[in-house]
Amino acid sequence: MSYRPYALLAELTYRCPLHCPYCSNPVQRPDDRDLTTGEWIRVIGEAAGIGVLQIGFSGGEPLLRPDLPDLVLAAREMGLYTNLITSGVGLDAPLAAGLQRNGLDSVQISFQADEPELADAIAGARVHERKLSAAMLVRQHGFAFSVNVVLHRRNISRLREIISFASQLGATRLELANTQYYGWAYLNRSHLLPTKEQVRAAALIAGEEKARLAGQMEIFYVVPDYFEERPKPCMNGWGQRHITVNPVGDVLPCPTASSILGLMFDSVRQHPLAWIWEQSDSFNRFRGSQWMMEPCRSCPMREIDFGGCRCQAALLTADPRRTDPVCGLSPDHHLVEAAVSSSGHAVGLESMIPRR
Amino acid sequence: MKDFDLQSRPGLSPHVRLQMDALSRQTVLLYPEGILELNTTAQEILGRCDGRTSLADILATLAAEYDAPADELKSDVFHCLEQLSARGFVFFES
Repeated sequence: MSYRPYALLAELTYRCPLHCPYCSNPVQRPDDRDLTTGEWIRVIGEAAGIGVLQIGFSGGEPLLRPDLPDLVLAAREMGLYTNLITSGVGLDAPLAAGLQRNGLDSVQISFQADEPELADAIAGARVHERKLSAAMLVRQHGFAFSVNVVLHRRNISRLREIISFASQLGATRLELANTQYYGWAYLNRSHLLPTKEQVRAAALIAGEEKARLAGQMEIFYVVPDYFEERPKPCMNGWGQRHITVNPVGDVLPCPTASSILGLMFDSVRQHPLAWIWEQSDSFNRFRGSQWMMEPCRSCPMREIDFGGCRCQAALLTADPRRTDPVCGLSPDHHLVEAAVSSSGHAVGLESMIPRR
Repeated sequence: MKDFDLQSRPGLSPHVRLQMDALSRQTVLLYPEGILELNTTAQEILGRCDGRTSLADILATLAAEYDAPADELKSDVFHCLEQLSARGFVFFES
């Protein structure tokens, strides 16, 4: 069976002007120098050569890389659809014009909330106003415009307001992403997990608004997997469709895979991307279903949800081969239930650990 | 099924691209953070959505090319356009 990657997430830098406590970037970052412009252009070309059609420029904050327009141009010349995934901080008119000239297709701006004080408190920086200016520039330059809002206990009760905010901003696509508990988010999990009542109300609102805004703004509601009975088909399967290259050139099957202790990742500085995709231990480790343990191994769902998320299994059970504990069939499911049932204790924003 | 005005002129959203995929030799539709692999019907239809040609003309061209019964063809084309316009990939100039 051969596999083909369709999407490359290019994490251009870990630096970021925001300090969101739900950041999924690694808490311990690799101690190496960031890839150069030339190295990135080579990686983008290699990715296109093995089938990649979509590139997401992300981070950290990708606008901190002065060579971003050059990388966009290189990606467009190789036939990729180019997406910028940004906080919006650092986007000014000349940069927006340069990105447009070089063929940038789509921009996704993150917002922390609809309300400025709350948004800035979550971001740990006064950035909401600047994001509004960035959104204006994105619309003026005619990029496809998506808004992303990560949901957690502090903002999920404002879901209806958040949705009208995104719609008034002129987004045609809204991602409502319930926090995934990796990296900093895992450290801050007890502060971020919503209550069951909040989740139930949010799901109803998301459904209603999705129908109401159909044809105007497409809403993607990423379900809070801790509250589900079945795990998410993480990344559509390990090593199936997606490649992440982190700022120092390590190649990962998913953006949070470095949280799996003991798994070593190969670098684009040592190997061609094609070799890493096809041959490397990290990409082959959880492909298919041979690696699975029970109850996944004999489960009829094993080719549908792939046993859930390897990072989550590793974080919660210290063994990445185990069934994702989110699954109701997992012998470790009580770990998730305990976290959910203890959610909702009143704790303030100030007690969270800000991302550095 | 949604009824489209036959005189309207379907076009592709400026935010999507039709592209030949070098590996599969199939046409794919690229859109923000996503890819749609198109079946032959969708490829034939979308390739003609230039914002200038009316839906009636597109149907007539396809009917001639495929020698298909008009009703069946219309139903296929409308069904395809309904799905693609609901996602904002296709819009209609009146």
